[in-house]
Order: sequence, then structure tokens, then C-alpha cells
Amino acid sequence: MLNLPQRPVCGSMNFSSVVKQLKKIAGRDAVLDQVEDLMLYEYDAGILTGSPRAVVFPETTEQVSRIMRLLSESGFPVVPRGAGTGLSGGAIAREGAIILAFARMNKILEIDAENHRAVVQPGVVNFDLSAATKRYGLCFAPDPSSQKACTIGGNVAENSGGPHTLAYGVTVNHVTGVEVVLPDGRIVNFGGKTSDLCGYDLTGFFVGSEGTLGIATKITVRLMRIPEATATLLAIYNTIEDAANTVAAITREGITPAALEMMDGWVLRMVEAATHAGYPLDAGAVLLIEVEGLRETVEEQAETIRQVCRKQKAREVRRARDERERQLLWAGRKNAAGAVGRVSPKYYTQDGVIPRSRVPDALRYVESVAKKYSVTIGNILHAGDGNLHPIICFDPRDPDHKRRAMQASDDIIAYCVSVGGSITGEHGVGMEKNELMGLSFNEDDLAVMRRLHDAMNPRSILNPQKLFPTSGGCREAAASPEMTEKIVGNSGTRGA
Amino acid sequence: MNTALQTGSLARDLAAICGAQHVDEDPALEAFAIDGMAPAIAVSPATAQEAAQVVAFAAAQNLTIIPAGGFTAMSTGGIPERINILLRTTRLAGVTHYDPADLTIGVGAGCTLAALDAVLAEHGQFLPLDPPHPEHATVGGTLAAAVHGPLKHGYGGMRDFCVGIQFITGEGKLAKGGGRVVKNVAGYDLMKLMIGSYGSLGVIVEANFKVFPRQVRGNRVRTFVLEFTSLSGAVHFRNFMRSSHLTPMCLELVSPRAQEYLTKEAPAPRDPDDYAPAAPGGPPSARWRILLRAAGSETVLGRYRKEMGINLSAELSGEEEANTWKYVSNFEAAILERHRNAMFARMNVSPAEVEAAIGAAEQAGVDNNLLVAVVGRAGLGALVLAFIPLSVDPPSAMQYANTISALRSALSQDSAVVVTRCPQEAKWHFNVWGSTPTDLESMRAVKRALDPKGILNRGRFLV
Repeated sequence: MLNLPQRPVCGSMNFSSVVKQLKKIAGRDAVLDQVEDLMLYEYDAGILTGSPRAVVFPETTEQVSRIMRLLSESGFPVVPRGAGTGLSGGAIAREGAIILAFARMNKILEIDAENHRAVVQPGVVNFDLSAATKRYGLCFAPDPSSQKACTIGGNVAENSGGPHTLAYGVTVNHVTGVEVVLPDGRIVNFGGKTSDLCGYDLTGFFVGSEGTLGIATKITVRLMRIPEATATLLAIYNTIEDAANTVAAITREGITPAALEMMDGWVLRMVEAATHAGYPLDAGAVLLIEVEGLRETVEEQAETIRQVCRKQKAREVRRARDERERQLLWAGRKNAAGAVGRVSPKYYTQDGVIPRSRVPDALRYVESVAKKYSVTIGNILHAGDGNLHPIICFDPRDPDHKRRAMQASDDIIAYCVSVGGSITGEHGVGMEKNELMGLSFNEDDLAVMRRLHDAMNPRSILNPQKLFPTSGGCREAAASPEMTEKIVGNSGTRGA
Repeated sequence: MNTALQTGSLARDLAAICGAQHVDEDPALEAFAIDGMAPAIAVSPATAQEAAQVVAFAAAQNLTIIPAGGFTAMSTGGIPERINILLRTTRLAGVTHYDPADLTIGVGAGCTLAALDAVLAEHGQFLPLDPPHPEHATVGGTLAAAVHGPLKHGYGGMRDFCVGIQFITGEGKLAKGGGRVVKNVAGYDLMKLMIGSYGSLGVIVEANFKVFPRQVRGNRVRTFVLEFTSLSGAVHFRNFMRSSHLTPMCLELVSPRAQEYLTKEAPAPRDPDDYAPAAPGGPPSARWRILLRAAGSETVLGRYRKEMGINLSAELSGEEEANTWKYVSNFEAAILERHRNAMFARMNVSPAEVEAAIGAAEQAGVDNNLLVAVVGRAGLGALVLAFIPLSVDPPSAMQYANTISALRSALSQDSAVVVTRCPQEAKWHFNVWGSTPTDLESMRAVKRALDPKGILNRGRFLV
């Protein structure tokens, strides 16, 4: 089970002396190197695994810098890790890398309410930041479904989204500056509190680089006013087709809801059994629609949306009467993937994106793929921006079932790209989709990105073998052997 | 000297790529002079592939390239070291895809903002970008110079709605980042690198955007004019707006001096060296103003009126309303018409620093015999400064340099003052870019990765 490092150690130090040095830098209790401890760090929330050789918990930027200098000199690869809630293996150690875990760098350093900014360490939990800024009437807008566990550092690495990014944008739209430790240990700043500072937007370039360019040790985020009013609607449909048509119809009205989520009937029944959110059990699909903002505007938009839903054959449109009802509706949505875990021993959450007008076509396609490979696929979508999350169920003990599930996934991704979409909307490429990059980018595109990678991380000490295809070319439409091998045997946790 | 530098042979080589009729030689080149320096040759490729060939050819011959769009922001930047080839994007102007139902569009870099707007208007959509000179400013140039206008307050900037980009590296490689869809995290975010890179990392040839509905059905647009006797009164109101739940499209601060340039009739051009301001040196004629643009139903607009209270001095609608914003966008041009020696700067500070920063700008101006006019997005801390020389006192180069250095030293580290236009003579005496908290060595590493020979906009950008 334990993967030994394939990369020859190029520095002069052997591993045990590196561990000794790490303990000297971060403290004896800040380094894990026993197999039973390391096993906890083999996973993320996706389906791949990899075993780190050690896990270090730095407490300060200086420690991170010294650790990076040590490891880049001794040639040991490093993987930064937040809460491990990612879905693409970005925080999983490949090649027996050493994990830098940011659980101890979890302080909110400053809340600058006047300028709508906060400065945080990377290990701060997403939800805790919004909780801390609430008393100023401010919040951090990106809200991944894992927000109660995931960290801002991880959000920055993956450029995380969430249901409310439809109106407010993803993480990169909410970060104005980062302090970064480069692979050679140098501590630098990109940007600051003010947006549009002079020079290249290295902040924007860094966000979403999946831990392949540097390690964020301090992050300046933009805070948003908490809207004064929110209306949360649940539109219930007999067919998924009608729900899909509603998405386009709302866009045509010129309304951008804060969130526009879809769940199909199958997912709905899983969710209801797990969460008891009051979802109808016999529906074909539901839309969860939220509008936020000025009280007057919210009322008008909620009414318009209700009418649009009705016109698109919604059989019922409910509106959450209070915050408790609202939270219940969202709990159902945010725990949807987890609810699936109750009925399927394992599932794979896809993240393909399609142009948003193609939602009805895409759902028909997903259905045909499920039939073709005889697998169960549930549909959760950030429908408003065309971000699909098909949940493909399989039994990892049945190799044929597993293979069919992966083929179904590949077909769906290929479809997304063929209609002008993307291989990933918010989960990142990591080691899950790196071999698929050739579907979206040609060799020149990847060569340019590789150049930029090498400019910052020349020896690939940081997060090696992620994001870029390891083979160099496009991959055949089949699951990579590695992915199929590494799928673990027990139930997954959460989706987005 | 490299033989290819001899224009005759250079023209032949470029004509072989783009066709002779798309290669401009002297004397047409005077019109393209940048800081008094005319390019050796100008070329207008028809496709991204042709453009890539031009760059690859230049890289092989060690020739420098300046990418050019509508020449509306070309005054920004250091004095070029040399300009061998001016690569014009004029012919790369087509719409490459437009899916109104998806609210996404892709266009060539040479497409003007006005042309793009016309296409989007047919479907009741728009790109919320209102920099000066939309009829000339191109998509590529607007991205490269990260120019924006008043709508940035409510909609954000290029960074927030450019979802894909195609460009040519300094080695002539055609590459892309992002895609067509509105949500996408595959690969590095090369859009962010290109936006605001002033053509120093690549020649932008195409870009994809998410666009917005022009108007929600039944909504009206109004501009509220608010007047204040002092800057702190205006800033106080701005603070109130930032803490209120109202979400205006624009919140623009206009200094007393700026107001005479935001008028219906462009003032008759005078001899630029003549005594120009209407009331030069006199007491500022008007008060500080905030122009607040909002859209909504009558109920929503009623809420605005109620919250703005006694500061509200006028409410504009219809053509008058629309024109007001054209004048704001046209601010720099209106000043230039009357004062060709004016200096302009884009100042970015934190919202909390706006009042002190404007104070510092006015002080720096006064100390150096320059009048200061300000407009800008006060809610964001993104301001446009105009420094106007008194014509009784012909300006010296050092006046400009001293003004900017005094202003910069008065501001916090988290700020930027980029001079976007000033007389060429003054440019020799100071750095138009100023300092930045962003690590210079990392910027240089990025520059080397994309333009290893440094042929793109050599000498003009920060690194």
C-alpha cells in the first residue's frame, strides 16, 4: 500500500537527516513520519490516493521558507495541503512527497472592515472567516460545499467556486494579494490590499495554480457586504427537461440569481432520505434558486422567477419562509454528494462545464451514457453557469463496474469539451485530470504554461506531476491505469 | 546593423507573410509615432497565424515589436528603446463566436469596443466596459492596458469577465488560456497575466468574455447628482454608500476643477499654450460632486432617493443621463483639447486612503504650479488625475517629475500612481510606472518565460 518514492534523491541528505532537520525547524511535535500517522494523509475527498513520506506542520512563514530551502536543496518534493477536501488530488503526495499541512497557520491576521479586506493565514477555514467578519456585515463570498472544513489556502490553490459564485465569482475574484514562499525559500509578495497595483497581476496568475508555483502563507481577501435580503426558492418539476429549460429562461429575463442549482429526482431521493429537507420524493428534478440584494429588488426578482418557473411547467414553487427553512434547503444541496454515499459504496464526482444553454442536451447525453455503460449517474449541477457534477456510482470491488464508471466519466468529459466547455469548472486538474489537459489545450498552449511553471518552480520540487500531462500528448478515451489502480475501496465523502 | 533592419528587405519579408498592401512604410508611419519615435515599419496581419509568423520572424531577427490597437492608450509607458515593427491588430477584428443564450462572446483583438457593443446590443446585452474612446479603443488594447471606466464600480473590470484569451508569445508561439465557458479552472489563468501587461508578455489576438444583460425588463436607469462643499463631505457620503445595501452601477467622484471638462459642448479648442482654464487659479467654481448611477424599478429608485436625502441635488434621465457618462469617460480628451501639456495619472489606493491621496495630489500639484482635476471610482479607490500646467508659466520637465515623486512619497505602500500621459520631455526624468509591492524578480522570470529575447515593447514596461 505504501508508495515508495520513485524519484532518486538528488541532494546530499538522506531522508532521516531531512526529518531531523524538519523537526529542528518546525518542532518535534510538528513532524509526522510513522506509517500509521501518514495513512491519514493519503486521501482527499476524491477517489485517488498517494502516500506522503512525512507531514510537517509549519507555524510561521519563516518556517515554511526554511523548510522549502531545505527540501529544495535536498531534492525532496513538497505538497502543500489545507484540509484535504479537494477532489482532484491537488493535496495528495505523489512520488512520496513531503506534505506541508497548514493546520497550525490558521489565524485571521487582520479584518480591515473599512476597506472590505481581511488578511489571513492559509489554514483559516473558509466558514470561520465569514463567521468572524459577520459582525461587520461582511462575508467572504466563495462558498464551496466543503466550506465548513476547507481552508482559504486550499481555495486559493484550487480557485474554488461554490453555488454562490454564479453572481459573485470564484476565489480569484476575491483575492487581491498573497504572500508566497517560492520553491527556493524566498518570501515574496504579489499584490496587496489595493487592487490594480502596478505590474503583472501575479496574484491572479497564482490563484488556481494548484500549489505548483509557490506556497501562499498570507492571503489578502476582498470581503463583500452581506446582502440585506435573500429569497430562496425551490421549484419542483416532473421532468428534468422542464427544469433545464427554466435555467435558460431565467437567464433570458436578465436576472442573475446568486445561486441556481439543479438536482435530479434520483439525487433528490438520496438527499431527502439523508437530510429530510422536505424535498418531494416523486419529482423529476428541482431547482434551488436564490436571489440576494436590496430588499425591494429581491422581492421583484423572486416574483419574476416564480412566474418563469410556472411558465416552464414547474408543478410547484416553494419559498423558504425563514432562515431555518433556507438552511435546510441548502443543507440538502450541500450534503447531496455525501447522501449518495449511503447507497453506493463509491462514487466519482465529475466537474465538466458546458455552455449554459446546453444544459438540456448535456443531461440527455449523461442519461445516454449511463445507459450505455449500465451505471447509475445522479445529476447535481451549478446549472446557472453550466457546471455539471454528475455523480457516477460504482462498486470498487467489481473491476468491471469500476472500468465502466470511468469510461462513462471520460465520455462525459469528452462531450463537455466537444460542445465548447471545459474539463473542470471548480475542482481543479491535479492528478485526476492532468492527462485530460490535452483535450482543452494543444501542445503549444501546454508548452507556454510549462514555461511559466518552470520559471517559478524550475526543479518541480513543488507538487510534481500535477496539472500537466505526464505523457505529453492527448490521452485515449479510457481511464488512466493509474486512476483505476488508485481508486480506494471505501466510501467517498463530499462533493462540491 | 542587421540587414533585416534595412527597411526594404524587412518590407519584403513582412509582405511575404501578410501581403504588400498590409505593410506600411514611410511616410505613413509618422502617424504611429510613440513618444516621438516612428516605427521602422507597420504591419497588419489578417489572422492570428499570420501575426504569429510576424512575431516569430522578428524574434529570429532580433527585431522589436510594439503591438498596437486603436492608439488610445499608447501614451502610457516608458520611451521605447527602438521600434522595428509596429504590429497592428486592426484586421483581427471579427466576432469568433457569440452565443447570446450563454451570455458569452469571442472577438478578435482588433475589434473596437463600439463595434463589439453594436453586436451585443442586437441581443440586448453588453460588456460593462466604458473606457475613453470606445470607437477607437480595441479589445486587445483595453485588455493589455487594463483600462476601465465608471462601470467598474458595479461590474468589476476585465479581470472579472475575460474568460479566455489567445496570444502570441515573444517567440511567435500562438497559445491560449481559459476557454469559452464562464466557469473554468483548467490550466493556469493566463488571462490574468495578459490583462495589464501592456503587450510586454504577448500579443493578444483574441479574447472571450462573459457578457451581461443590458437591462432587466421594467428597470429604469437614473443618475443622481450629489453635491458637497468639501472632499470630506463627499468621502463621508461614499462611506455611507459603501455601508448601505444599495448597489449602484457607478459611483463617480468629480472634483471642482474637473467639472468644467464634463460639459455638453466641448470647449472651443484654444491655443494650447494660451491661458486656458475658464477661471484659472481662481477659487474652484463648483463643489465636489458624486455622480451615482442606478438601475431599478420605481420602488428601488425610490429607496435610493430616500437614502440619499439632502445631498441629492439633481436627478438625470434619458439622453442627458447617458451623455453625462460619456463626458466622464471623455474626461482626459476634453482636457487634452485645451491643454496639450497636461499630465494624466491613474491612482489606485485603498478606499480608506482616497481622501488623503487626493489631498496629496492637490498639494503636489500646487507645489509645482500644476492645477489638479480628479474624477474616479471613489468607492474602489481607482482615480484619474489630471495635472494641468498654468500657461502663464510654461511647464518644465522637472515640474512633472517632482509632482509625481511628491505624490508617490505621500502615499502608503499599497498604492500605485501610473502616469498614463505626459510630455515626452518629462518622461526622461522619472519612471512612469512607479513602485509595486509585487516581487520584481518573479515578474522578470515571467517576462523571460514568455518573451526570452525581450522583443515585445522593449523599454516600455516596468520589467
